[in-house]
Amino acid sequence: MPFDQAFALSSVLLATMAFSGLVLAQSVPFWLALPMVIILMISALHAGGVHFIRRAIARVTVSPTMWNILLIGAFALLLIDLTVVSRDLLPAGIHFLVVLLAVKLLTLQQRRDYRHLYAISLMAILASAALTSDAWYVPIFLLYLITAVWTLLLYHMTQETGDTAVGHQTIPIRITRHFFWLTNGTVVLAIALTLAIFFLIPRMGAGVLQKTSGEALRATGFSDRVDLGTIGSVKQDPQIVMRVELPDQPAVDKDRLYLRGLAYDQYNGQSWTHSGTRRRSLSLVAEGTFLVRPAGSRSSNSLSGSVRQDIMLETLDTAVLFAAPFAELVSGEFLEMQADAMGGLRLPASPASRIRYSVISQAPQLAADERMASALDYPDAILAHYLQVPMASQHVADLARRVSIEATTPFERTLAIQQHLLKNYSYSLEADTATLSHPLDEFLFTRKTGYCEHYATAMVVMLRTVGIPARLVTGFLATEWNEYGGYFTVRQRDAHAWVEVYFPHSGWITMDPTPTVSTAISTSRWAPLTRFGESVRLQWDRLFVRYSVKDQLAVVHGVREGTDALRERVSRGVSLLSAPIGQTLSRLMHMVRTFHLGMLELITGVIVVGSALFLLMLRDRIALWATTHLPTSHPELAIVQLYARMLRMMERHGVRKSPAATASEFARLVEQEWKAAAPIVANVTALYHQGRFSQTPLTPGELSRAAEQVGQLQSFTHVVR
Amino acid sequence: MNSSHTIRSIQDNIALVIKGKAHVIEMAVVCLLARGHLLLEDVPGVGKTTLAHSLARSLDCSFKRIQFTSDLLPSDIVGVSMFNRQKQGFEFIPGPIFANVVLADEINRTTPKTQSSLLEAMSEAQISVDNQTHPLEQPFMVIATQNPAEYHGTFPLPESQLDRFLMRLCIGYPTPEEERKVLDRPYSLHPADTLEAVLSAQEVLALQTRVDQVHMEESLTDYLLAIVQATRQSELLSLGVSTRGALGLSKAAKALAVVRGRDYCLPDDIKELAPIVLSHRVMLNRTHGMRTQSFEQAERMVLDIVETVPVPV
Repeated sequence: MPFDQAFALSSVLLATMAFSGLVLAQSVPFWLALPMVIILMISALHAGGVHFIRRAIARVTVSPTMWNILLIGAFALLLIDLTVVSRDLLPAGIHFLVVLLAVKLLTLQQRRDYRHLYAISLMAILASAALTSDAWYVPIFLLYLITAVWTLLLYHMTQETGDTAVGHQTIPIRITRHFFWLTNGTVVLAIALTLAIFFLIPRMGAGVLQKTSGEALRATGFSDRVDLGTIGSVKQDPQIVMRVELPDQPAVDKDRLYLRGLAYDQYNGQSWTHSGTRRRSLSLVAEGTFLVRPAGSRSSNSLSGSVRQDIMLETLDTAVLFAAPFAELVSGEFLEMQADAMGGLRLPASPASRIRYSVISQAPQLAADERMASALDYPDAILAHYLQVPMASQHVADLARRVSIEATTPFERTLAIQQHLLKNYSYSLEADTATLSHPLDEFLFTRKTGYCEHYATAMVVMLRTVGIPARLVTGFLATEWNEYGGYFTVRQRDAHAWVEVYFPHSGWITMDPTPTVSTAISTSRWAPLTRFGESVRLQWDRLFVRYSVKDQLAVVHGVREGTDALRERVSRGVSLLSAPIGQTLSRLMHMVRTFHLGMLELITGVIVVGSALFLLMLRDRIALWATTHLPTSHPELAIVQLYARMLRMMERHGVRKSPAATASEFARLVEQEWKAAAPIVANVTALYHQGRFSQTPLTPGELSRAAEQVGQLQSFTHVVR
Repeated sequence: MNSSHTIRSIQDNIALVIKGKAHVIEMAVVCLLARGHLLLEDVPGVGKTTLAHSLARSLDCSFKRIQFTSDLLPSDIVGVSMFNRQKQGFEFIPGPIFANVVLADEINRTTPKTQSSLLEAMSEAQISVDNQTHPLEQPFMVIATQNPAEYHGTFPLPESQLDRFLMRLCIGYPTPEEERKVLDRPYSLHPADTLEAVLSAQEVLALQTRVDQVHMEESLTDYLLAIVQATRQSELLSLGVSTRGALGLSKAAKALAVVRGRDYCLPDDIKELAPIVLSHRVMLNRTHGMRTQSFEQAERMVLDIVETVPVPV
C-alpha cells in the first residue's frame, strides 16, 4: 500500500478508535453517534481511495469559512448544551468533541488538519478514560496506542518524503510487510518494557508531586487545649487535609462522614481540655496493625456494621490520627500507636510526611431500650468525668431545663436540647468569641450566632446541667464526595466539633447540634472538574506512590529467585528452564490481576505520553534510521532526505541555505558561520553530491556513514543549544 | 591515461608563465576540453596573448597566430586557390586557420567581413573555398583577444560572431607579488617559448571524448535551462541566451567536471560557468545605442539572474 493511502487510512482508524472509546463509555447519544458512524465510514472509503466517494466529496467541497462558521455554531451548541440540556461540563464537552471530530474528518486537506485530528482523538480517548473503568477500555486503549504510534510514524514519513521530491514528481513509496511489523513490533515491545519498568524501577517517595509536601499544615483544634473560637479561623481554608476512601462499601452514606480526632471533657468557661492525659500504647495484632480497644464499655448487640476507611493524611503538625467513630483496628506503617482514655488516636510524634493508614470502625447505635428508658444508670467513673460544668453556668442550666421540660427520658432531653440549638441559633463564621470572658453565654443569650464549637460546647454544657454525661469531640466532617475517585476529600474548612453523649449500654453516641454546614461549601459548575483533577492526584498516589518499595521488592525478589533458580537449573536440563520464568510471569500476572483496573489505564496513559515524548525526541533519529534502512525502490532518495534533514538541522541552528545557493556554497557558508560543524557538513555534502548527481549510487556503507554524520551533527546541535 | 593528472600537468605548465591566474588558466583548459573557442578581453598588456601562446605551446599541436589588422582579408585567414602551373590546375593554399590552435590577436581591429570568415571555421570546423570544403584538423580551437578600452579603428564583434565563442574571459591585473615574479624573470626569451608540450593532440581528443561521457543529472539540465530561461525573461536584458549558449554551458559544465576530476556535473559547475559562458551572449537593456557594453556590467547582470534561480536539492 502506498504511504499516503496508509497514512490517511490509519488517521481515520485513529479517529474511529477514539470515537468507539467514547461510544463504549456510553457518553455519546444515539442521535450523535449515527451521523458520526456514517462520517467515519465515508472518511474510511475516501482514504481507501474509493473513486465515487472521492468524486462526490470533491464535488461537495465547502469553503473553509463555511466550516469555521459551522464550528462556531457547534461551539454555541456546546454552550446551550452546557446550560440547558446536559448541564454538565463533561457530557457537553464530549458532544462538542464528537462534533469537532466529525468536522475535522470531513475537512482533512492539509497536514495541519491531520494534526488537529490527532489532538481531538487524544482528548476523546482521555475523556472516555475518565468516564469508564470497564474492562473493554483496555483493549480499545491499547489499539489506540498502537494505531497512534503507527499513524504518527506515517505522518512523519510522508512529511519527509514530501519535502524532498526529486525533480518535479513525487515518488510513491510503498509500505512493505517488513516495515509494518518492525515498527509495530517496536511499539509493542516498548509497551512491554514500560510495564516492566513500572514494576521494577524504584520510584520517588510520598509527596513528590505535592506542592504542600515541604511544610506541615497547621491543624487547629487537636492540641491538649482548645479555646473556643479557634476553629473558626480555618473555616474558609480549602487546603486538603486528607482523603478518605471507603472501599468495598457501596451502601455507605456518601453525604457526610464524621472523622473523629480528639475528645475533651473539661470546660472552664473559655476552653476545653482533657483530664486524662495518660496514654497507652496499642497492642499489635499483626505487622502494622493495632488493636484499639473500645474506650467505653459497650455491649456487642449495639454495634452496627463496621466501616473500613483508607485514609491518606497530609502532613499535619499534629500527631493525632483521624477515623470514623470508633476505631477498632488501625493498620499502617507505624511502629507504635497510642490511644488516650477517650478514644483519641495518636502517633508518638507528628509524621514528617504524608501517611496512609486504614481503619476499621464500628459505629455504635443507640440501643432501643435505652432510647425508651426514663432513667439511666451511669457508672460513677463516667459521672465523675463528664458532668463537670464551669462556674456560673446557672443561666445555661435554666435554659437547659426550660428546653427539656417536656422530655421524659434522657434521650428525649438530649434531642430537645439538640433541636433547640438547631432551630434557634444561626450559623455564622463572623462570631469571634476567642477574646470574650464568657463566650458561651454570649452565644446562647446575646448573639445567638456561632459555629460548630459554640453549638457543641453549648450542647455539652446544657446536657451536663441536666445530668447527662457528654463530651466535646473535634475532628473533621467530610461532606465532599468525589464520585470519580470514590472518596471523601477533607479540607481544612471541614474542621468540626460535635458532641458525644453517653449511654451506659450503647456507649458514646455521636450527635451534632450544628445546622448543616455544607452551606459553607461553594458549589460551582466547575466543581466536577476540580473533583476529577483531585481524583487523578489520588489515583497517582494510590497506584504509584502506594505501589510501594515493598511491592517492588516482591517483584524484584521474584525475578531474582527466578534467575537464581534458573542458574541452578541450567545444569539440570533445558527442560526445566521454563519453570522459573513461568513463576515470575505468573507472579507478574497475579500482580496485574490484583491491581485495580484503573491502574492499567494509568499505566497506559503514562505509556502514551511517554512514548509520544520518546518519539518526539527520537523522531530525527527514527527518520534517519528510516531513510537508511527502509527498503525503498529509490535508494537515491535516501541521501537527498539525509541532506534535507541536515539543512533543517542547520537552519534550526541559524545557518540557512538560500534556495539559489549550491551545496558547496552552503558548505563554505557553514565554514564561516559555524566552524565546528563544517567538517561534518563538508563530508555529508561530498556524499550527497556523489549520491545525488553521479551515476554510481552510494553503497550502503557510505549511506550509513552519511546517516552517522548527520546523527553526530544532531547530538552536536543538541549540545550547543 | 590518468586524466586528472594530465589536466593538472597542463595547468601547471601554463602557470609557469602566467603567474597567479589559476582560475583563468583552468577556464582556458575547460574551454579546450569543451571543444570551445575562447575570447580573451582585457586591457593591453595583461597577458592575453601570452596565455593563448602558453596554452598552445603546452599542447603538442600546430599553432598559428594571426594578427588582425584593418586591411586583413578573409583569404589571408582561410587561404586561397592559386593556379599551379605544373599541375595545370588550381591548388588550395591553406591559410593560417589550418592549425590546431589559432590565435586571433586583436580580432576587433579587422573588418566585419574578415571577422566573418572565421564563422564557419569556428562552428563547423571546416572551410569552404571555391565550392570546396576543407575540414580542419582536430582539435581545433580559436583563441581571440580584443581590447575593450580602445574603440578607435575597431569593429565590435557582431552578436553572431560572439555567440560562437564558448566563453569570454577577462584576465585582470595581477597582484603586486605576482607582478614581481613576472618582472624577476630573465627577459631574453619570450616566456612561452620556454614551455614544453605536455599533451599530445591525441590526448586532447581523448579528453574531449571523456567530457562527452560526463553525466548530467536531469534536474541539473532543468536548472541550466531555468537559468537560460531566466535570461530570456529578465527585464534587465534585451537579448537572452541562445540555444547555442545553453548547449555551450552544458558542454562547459561537463568539461569543468572533468577538469575537477569528476564524471558527473554539479550545480556548482553550472553556476560558476554561467557568467563566463553567458555574459557575452546577452544584450543589456537601455544601452541607448551603445553597441559596446561593458563586460563587467553584463557579467554582473548574469550573476544577479543566476542568484534568483533555485538550485535543485
